[in-house]
Order: sequence, then C-alpha cells, then structure tokens
Amino acid sequence: MPLSEAEKTFILHGVDENFRQDGRDREAYRPMELETGTVQHAFGSAHLRLANTDVLVAVKLEIDAPFPETPHEGKLEFFVDCSANATPDFEGRGGEDLAVELANTLASAYQSRQAFDLRKMCILKGKKCWKLYVDILILECGGNLFDATSLAIKAALHNTQIPKIKAVNIDGDNIEIEVSDSVSDCEKINIENAPVLVTLCKIGQHCIVDPSLSEEQCTVGSMVVAATKNCVSTISLLGSGSLHQDTLFQFLDFGCKIANRLNEALMETLANISVTNENVGFLK
Amino acid sequence: MPLDHKRLNGPEESVPYELFLRHKQETVEIKTLDEVTKDSDISREHPKIYLKTGTVSQAKGSAYIEIGETKIIVTVFDPKEIPNKQDYSLKGEISCEFKYAPFSCTKRRLHQQDNEEKRNSLIMKKALESAVCLHEIPNFQVAIHSLVLQNDGSALSGAIIAAGVALAEAGVPMFDIITSMTLEICRSNEIDSLRKMTGQIQVAGEKSHYGTIIISKLHANEQICQVHQTGFIPGDQLKNYITVLSKSCDSIAAIVKKCLLKEVVNHIK
Amino acid sequence: MSKNKELISKIGLRLDGRRADELRRIRCKMGVFAQPDGSAYIEQGLTKVLAAVYGPHQVKNRQKAQHDTCIINTQFSMAVFSTNERKKRPRGDRKSTEMSLHLQQALAAVIETDLYPWSQIDVYVEVLHADGGIYPACVNAATLAIIDAGIPIKEYVCACTATLANNEIPMLDISHQEEVLGGATLTVAALPMSGKIVLMEMSQRFHLDHLPKVLNKALEGCKDIKVILDEAVKNHVAEMGSSTGWANSRT
Repeated sequence: MPLSEAEKTFILHGVDENFRQDGRDREAYRPMELETGTVQHAFGSAHLRLANTDVLVAVKLEIDAPFPETPHEGKLEFFVDCSANATPDFEGRGGEDLAVELANTLASAYQSRQAFDLRKMCILKGKKCWKLYVDILILECGGNLFDATSLAIKAALHNTQIPKIKAVNIDGDNIEIEVSDSVSDCEKINIENAPVLVTLCKIGQHCIVDPSLSEEQCTVGSMVVAATKNCVSTISLLGSGSLHQDTLFQFLDFGCKIANRLNEALMETLANISVTNENVGFLK
Repeated sequence: MPLDHKRLNGPEESVPYELFLRHKQETVEIKTLDEVTKDSDISREHPKIYLKTGTVSQAKGSAYIEIGETKIIVTVFDPKEIPNKQDYSLKGEISCEFKYAPFSCTKRRLHQQDNEEKRNSLIMKKALESAVCLHEIPNFQVAIHSLVLQNDGSALSGAIIAAGVALAEAGVPMFDIITSMTLEICRSNEIDSLRKMTGQIQVAGEKSHYGTIIISKLHANEQICQVHQTGFIPGDQLKNYITVLSKSCDSIAAIVKKCLLKEVVNHIK
Repeated sequence: MSKNKELISKIGLRLDGRRADELRRIRCKMGVFAQPDGSAYIEQGLTKVLAAVYGPHQVKNRQKAQHDTCIINTQFSMAVFSTNERKKRPRGDRKSTEMSLHLQQALAAVIETDLYPWSQIDVYVEVLHADGGIYPACVNAATLAIIDAGIPIKEYVCACTATLANNEIPMLDISHQEEVLGGATLTVAALPMSGKIVLMEMSQRFHLDHLPKVLNKALEGCKDIKVILDEAVKNHVAEMGSSTGWANSRT
C-alpha cells in the first residue's frame, strides 16, 4: 500500500521525536518469536516471526566434492524462496529479484572464514565434503526481512546436527563413507561468529532499526550491515539512494552496536531454548 | 544452471592448472594502510586509468576503460519503452548487464551470466540508479551492457565509471559524475605475483582481517551511492579504508571530467 | 500385487497403527497470517500445508477479466525442504502446474463466482512438509482459508485419498510410506453435504468392481474431514466473536 505524503510526514515526525508509529524508540525491535526444529525432514530448522515477518529456515546436508580451489572446505549454499503467501506480487517469478538479493547478501556475509568456518565441513581433503543447503522460505513480509532471515539462519544452524563420520573406505577412486545413523551421535556447528544482519534506515535526520513496511517506504537510504563482535563481514546499500560519508560512518557504528546487542540476545535465547516434543508451529 | 548446448561448452569438469604450479613464483610486497596514507599524495595511489568515449559506433553512447590491466567496454542504447509493463510508471528504469568475456579471467567463463556476474549487475544498477535522473525518462528503460575484456581487479568499478561516461555521451540526463574504486585487503603483506591485481588498490591487512570494498561516489554533494563490502574487517578499520577509497575516487573524477570535456570539444569541432 | 499384502496386517492394523477406515490426525488453524485476506494452516498426519487467500480484487491482467464471474487464480508451491530429498525448485515443474489446475477446479466448484464480476481471487498454497496426500491437504487448507477470507461458498469442499489394500479392503488417507508400497491411489475432492464429486483422479489400476467401494470409502473420508473442518471453523468464529462480545450473549 503506497503511503500518502501526509502519512509519510507523520512517520517522519514520529522518528524525529524518538517515538515511532508503534510506540518504539529508534533503536528498538518489534517482538520476536523463535522456534527451532520445526521441519522434521531437515537436519536443522528454525521458524522466526518478527511482528508480521515470518521466515522458515531449514538446513539440509548432502555429501559432495569440494571445489578444486578450496580442497579443505565444505560448501554452503543459500536458497531463498519468496512464497506467494507473503504477497501476490511474488507469484510465479515475481519474488526472484528480492530472493537473489537476499541470497547474495547472505552468501557474502558468510563468505569469510572467521564468520563461518567451512573447513569443519570437510570430510576428506579434495574428495568429499559436506554441502550445507540453507533454504529460506519467506511466508510473510512485514518489513525488515534481512534481519529476521539472518537471525533465523543462525538459529537453524545452531539447531543443525551433523552426523558423525564412522569410517571412510578408500578403494582406488571409490570412496565410501559410513555415516553414523544414531540421532545422538551428532556434531553441532559453531555459530558463535556467524554474522547478524542489521538493516538501518535513514528517515529525516535520524537512523532507525527494524523498519516496518510503512517506514521502509519513507526512507531516503538504507543499508545492511552484517557484523559479529565489532567486525563487519558485509555492508551493502539497499535500493537506490545515496549517503554522505559521515552518515555512512554513523550507520556503521550504529549497525555494529545493534548487531552486538542482537547477537547477545539471540545466543542467550538459543542457550535457553527448551526442547519440547510438542511442536507448536503454526497452530499457536 | 542449464547449459546452452548450441555453443561449445568445453569439458564438464576441469581443474585450473594453476593449482598444480610449483610454488616458486615471486612474491610482491604490499603496503599496509598506514604506509599508503602516510604518502603525502594519496591520489597517486589509484591505478593508472585510460578512458575513451565513442568506441562502439552502433551504440548511442559507449566508453572504453583501462584500469591497470583491466579492460572494459560499456555500451548504452537509446531509452526504449519498458518491456512487459502494463501501467505507466513515472520513473524510468535502468537495466544493467555485467559480463566477463569467456577469456577475460584466469578461469574460463561461460557465455551465460553466473551468480557473480548477476550480483555485479545488480550492484552496478543500484549505483547508476542514483546518478541518472530517472524522473526525466518516464516509462523508458535505458539498457547498459558492459563487457570485461580482461580482468585484473576492479572490473566492477571500471564498469561503473565507464557506464557513467557512456551514459553522458548518450545524452541521458544525469545528476552528477559517478566514479568508483575497489580496494582489496590482503591477508599478508606478501602475496604471489599472480594474485597482484593492477586494477585495484591492494593493501595488507592486520592479522586475520581481509576483504574487498567497492564504493561509488557522486562528487558534487560528496554522496556515496553504492558501497559493497565482503570479508572480515573491524568496524573502525573499515572507516579508514572507505576514506582512502573516497579520496582516490575524487582523483578519478578529474580524469572523468577531462575525458568528458574532450568529448564535448570533439563534438563541437 | 504381492507388495500390497503388507499394507494391512492380519489383525487389521496398518503400518502406522491405524485401522483401514481411520484418518490421520487433523489439526488446523485459521487466520495464521495478518496480511492475506484469509489464511489457514492444516496438518494431516505429517503433511503440513499453509494456504493464503487474497481478494476478491481487481483483475491483474485486464484482458482476462470476465464480465459475469470472477477469476480464481491458484498457485501450488512446495518448499524445497518439504520432501526427504531436497527439491531443486519450489514450483514451476509439471507436477506443481497440474496441482494448481486441480486446485482451481475444486475451488471453482464451490465459490460463488457470479457474485464478483470483473474480479479475481488468488489462492496460494505452500506445502511445508510432504508425507502423502498433498492434494487433499491443499484443498482442505484452501477451503479453510477461503472461509477465513469471508468469501461466500456453496458448501465445504473436502478431499481425501483411498486405496485398495490386500486386493479387497479399501483403505483411507494414504501416507507417503503406504503410497510407495501400495498400488493404486484414488484421490477424490467432493462436496460432502450434497455428495457431489468435483475431482477424481487415480494413479495405477485396480479392477472396476472395486471402484464403488473404494470411492465410497473416500467419500466417507471427505465427510469425516468436513466434520473436523466445520468444528474448526465454528471454534474460530466463536473465538473471534468472543473478543467482540457477541458470542457470550448466548449464555
């Protein structure tokens, strides 16, 4: 729904007063709900709902051969699917542009070894490795897709159980891998440094986080910062629009600060998440 | 990705021979950021640039750029109506295609766009959208094609600079001159000569910090219209790198201006 | 047909412990999302489907607009992680297109289309988890979503699968495991109140003599599902109503 000029002015004044449309201040996020292990067919999964944004992430594992350039590393692939459930605009191939942009940003955020170590995913140097498929399904768009997705991915990776390798038999060119089939005999992925994406929007003279759909329309420039522990792994401007260098730096500081805070909150939640057999899922 | 079977695709699987080279290539020393900024004139730090307009006669506007050893041709065609669109839109559109020629990199590229090329097309589009007066070409689309003939670093930056010049030559209304630069932070201060890219600024990072930063800048109002970074860099360091890039962009702007002026002078003659 | 014998044990229990005429557990919820006009979530055993309805609204492609009825636009899509093997694409393959068409056919039978000339109703279904009986789950979810959207329908449309076990016993609501092991699968979408069949589809074959009893079994299943859906709708309406206060006025 396009906003009128008057509505935009209203939102702008709200941001100026540090009292946004829904009563938040500029640095506050909307409430989030996180649930892990929702998809039974997957090795790890998470379902995150940030106000009206709904994201389902599932991690699947396959055994593959590593790239010849990086024989020591496993593979990681992001696939984003914008479900038409979110908005009729996504019907057919309509959501593809957004999906590609999101997948690209995530791929470059996870590219660095410090952020996510793919060397742990290697089974046999140059021959066999794990390939992680991170499939993201966007079920509803209520603004701030990037942040919600990155948090859900981190939770899904935390939830992922990689089966242990019992034995590797090498017979000439044939390599057979025996994978442990016990559910308890699994390894967890270290996600401590996995980046958190923070979308920052400039509205008027101020910078806000977690924009809602209507706030996204009022922004003059927005940027995504992927950061962990004060180290930035990706920055990227969203949409068209330009920023002054000083604004950019201000965004960077702000983004790092928020990312740290988000990361702490997520890690704490993940540590305390209780394992219940009864999945509430969408029935709640 | 489905293969185009009408073309000669080469073997399905191949391994680049560089992986098997014995490691006796000479290493090149790379300055750290402090050393780069210590030099009184940072503007000299950007690679050598050659820029020429009107290289493709069929196109409305075109430009050829050499940054270091990187060579790129960019063409701009007349605005035409946005295809497959039903409603009238008040703003124009830009469509960008960024393509490496099959022979441009050490690894052979396919004829279809791969993910990296698609991503670069998207970044290029974003950068140029803020430079073009889209409201002056309502319901029209400007197609920009860039072909990298040789890649030796900053292919994307080169394409953006050249596209800016080509757009100007094509007479597409623009807000400002657009320039762009790439900076790579290497893992150590000595790298293989093979990995030395002459087209971009290379600095040595500290410890485990490395990555690439690309920025594009509009000069009249000192606006950064596109920034893309990958790697792992501490927040405050990143600012220094961006400052260096921004300064080197300023010096490129002078080259772009000179090139445009020459174009105008030739035109009047 | 030797494989079929394993489908049902001597004491009449199926692989997952059900009897031949038992449905899997159905759990559903209406109004899961805020943005669509109507939405619903349904779980039939392990099969999980989300449905969203947008509209009625203006027709997107103006040339397709009809002066006397509304267009029903459906899209079927399966999450890439919904099956055991990861799927390459969520939609666009032949099977999804067929599913979309069948879904549209079932819905067109019940929606009062002549009330909305020049308009369009979008129905999107997303399979989150596939474990047999995808089409029935989609139809049931879409019915709930349409009711949630407040679009008038003639009656419920429910769908169910049935098969023939041991060459004699008709069996209801086939799971994926049974689908793989067993032979023919009969899928029926019906209007349970008037007993009309809107869609009937069968894979593989059995003797024509068996068809009436298998079909009857499937129709019984549709009726059972209707009862479950009806209760869910009533609960949902009562819940929504109680927030405004009118539901309590009865007591």
